[in-house]
Amino acid sequence: MQLGEFEYLMLTAVARLGDGAYGVVIRQEIEDATGRPCSLGALYTTIDRLESKGLIRTSMGDPTPQRGGRPKRMVRITPKGTQAASEFYNAVMRVSRGVAWSSTK
Amino acid sequence: MTRVGCWIVAHLTQLLNEEEREVVRGDLAECHTPTGRALREVLGLVLRRQAALWFALEPWLALLTVAIPIGFLLSHASRSWAEGAAENILLYGRLWDFSYLANPGWRADVISVAVRMAAAWLALVGWSWTSGVVLARLSRPTAWLTATMLCLTVVMATWGTNTVAHLHRNHDPSLQHHITFAVFPRLFRIFLVIVPVVWGACVGIRGRSFRLMPTVFGVLFLAGVTAVASRGLESSMSFGRGVLPADKGPDGFVVSADDPRPLWFLSLVMMWPAAFVLADAIRERQAGRESRA
Repeated sequence: MQLGEFEYLMLTAVARLGDGAYGVVIRQEIEDATGRPCSLGALYTTIDRLESKGLIRTSMGDPTPQRGGRPKRMVRITPKGTQAASEFYNAVMRVSRGVAWSSTK
Repeated sequence: MTRVGCWIVAHLTQLLNEEEREVVRGDLAECHTPTGRALREVLGLVLRRQAALWFALEPWLALLTVAIPIGFLLSHASRSWAEGAAENILLYGRLWDFSYLANPGWRADVISVAVRMAAAWLALVGWSWTSGVVLARLSRPTAWLTATMLCLTVVMATWGTNTVAHLHRNHDPSLQHHITFAVFPRLFRIFLVIVPVVWGACVGIRGRSFRLMPTVFGVLFLAGVTAVASRGLESSMSFGRGVLPADKGPDGFVVSADDPRPLWFLSLVMMWPAAFVLADAIRERQAGRESRA
């Protein structure tokens, strides 16, 4: 399964957040990691794309008062998503070996 | 977020599906997103979602078979009939005297003008309304955009073209002429074309099914007024674009009863949304019967 950079970032954020992964915190995680803003449009269209590829599963969470009584869209990584992220990571590590900016010489 | 910002965001998110709308509003509330950023974020998401819809065939079908061709014809017909009506209102308004109704020739003329005008106006409303419905039925999520395109086509297709009425207006810049030839045609288009298009699109978006018999009668009525208004529709295209029929007929006068009618098919083009609505009503009735059986 081929992944784009942003898709990989999202899968990683979702995996790291575990059961608590939903729109706002995934976005925060990606922004903290990359130092770049992440738009709602990019976030939700990528979530849809990853879900259609079977790499994540989403469900509607319970409404909360701090969200004005509105629900969250909870996200969980699937085994297929874990495998795709792992393959992407390994490919990046392999291709980066020996280059000046790599920490693994 | 300011109240105005909240109002705009609430309306923009109407373009998202219900589940996503709630999630996005919740995200914005949880992050206390400032108005400017919230508007950019929601607009970005809405544009991405709308762009994705155009990868399907239906929005293109709605745009290329309804919004643009019918908008083009509605533009010419409405401009021509608005100016014709303005001429008649001005003429009869100036000369009107109830004692004239005793004259059979005058009476017949008034009745004929009134019938043709009423048929043309009803036809405009019918064509516009059915077009709005078809835009929404072909592709509900893009209906607001294709309906806007239809309305824009109505306004733009005759933009800058000249007519006899425009010459009147230029030669007599009085308030009466301004109201008759500038204000009235715009109101005419708004109320007989744009409002029915929006109304039809709203009906189509709600997804209400049409009952067969009222739909049959409605389509037959529209076919009747279309038949009465057909010559006016054809001549609106001839005169509005400066294209005259190749053969003016034996009397040599353009658009008289003996002229050939090379643009006769335009009435069929205008009736296709009505035919679609009728076919839809028949299909829904059959589907209803099958589900009951």
